[in-house]
Amino acid sequence: MSSRDYLGEFEHIVLLAVLRLDDQAYGVTVRREIEERTKREVSIGAIYATLDRLEAKSYVQSRAGDPTPERGGRSKRFFRVTAQGVSAVNRTHRALQRLTEGLDLVRSRS
Amino acid sequence: MKHATIGAWPPRFAAWLVSLFGSSEQAESILGDLQEEFSAITRKSGDDPARRWYWRQSLKTIAHLAVGSFRTVPWSLAGVVLLGLLLRRFDFQFQLPERVAIAILRAQRPYSNLHYGFYVWQINYGIPIACFVASMLIGCVVAILAKGREVVAAFTLIVVNAVSFVELVIRVYNHNPNSEGAFAALFHFFVFRWTLDVIGILVAGVLVRKLRSASSRPLVVR
Repeated sequence: MSSRDYLGEFEHIVLLAVLRLDDQAYGVTVRREIEERTKREVSIGAIYATLDRLEAKSYVQSRAGDPTPERGGRSKRFFRVTAQGVSAVNRTHRALQRLTEGLDLVRSRS
Repeated sequence: MKHATIGAWPPRFAAWLVSLFGSSEQAESILGDLQEEFSAITRKSGDDPARRWYWRQSLKTIAHLAVGSFRTVPWSLAGVVLLGLLLRRFDFQFQLPERVAIAILRAQRPYSNLHYGFYVWQINYGIPIACFVASMLIGCVVAILAKGREVVAAFTLIVVNAVSFVELVIRVYNHNPNSEGAFAALFHFFVFRWTLDVIGILVAGVLVRKLRSASSRPLVVR
């Protein structure tokens, strides 16, 4: 992995949602967290496809929970952000900060 | 599979389609998430909106999982599909299914034994069945090698095959544009072979996927 390996927009959003949810991060809660905070409709598939990609990059780890009847006997898959994932979030934040430095975004918008 | 679920049931066909894409563990957790949300929407808004939501989410999920497979393991999927394409080309070049069917026909010696009906059956059904079996075998090889992404690999092979069939049809037409009757016969043959290919490869992909899922399925709470 390169030190310049920045997160894509949706990867960034998903990682932040998993960080916010701490040990309660699984498909349903991650989806609701993103929808509530970004007002953007996302599908379960988009979240899992992104989380799988992040897991392949070692930015998140997953573990299976216990199966429950309300889920049709299927288990939850909980995610947590690794130290590498936190570094990637920080790296992306710093890059965005450097890009926005000196920009008068309020004036540009009007 | 029967689950001890509280309330309404989500659309079974949509759930089955979702279960074909992504890895087995991924499909398990996605279906669980979909069912949890489906139950919540059913309680809040009723059965019909929940079913519509489930279908919409399932189709979006399938699209994301298919695209996600290519982004996660692009080279291994491309390699598997390329192998399938080469096997298909080899099979088409040497007409293996037709040779097998004709070899069986000769072994039965229909004229000497007056089994004319068998000869006709072999031409009408034997060769198509042999072609279908060859497509299934190719589909099985591709699905077995594309671990966890059997149906995505099978679909991709079908699409690539379709492109090569179209290219072949155009090439044949350009080679001899005046004999429209011969071209129409060839076109029907290509469409027939391609249809057999689609069904054979798809059935093989789904079969391998289901067998693999069944062998790795975790215990469910009843």
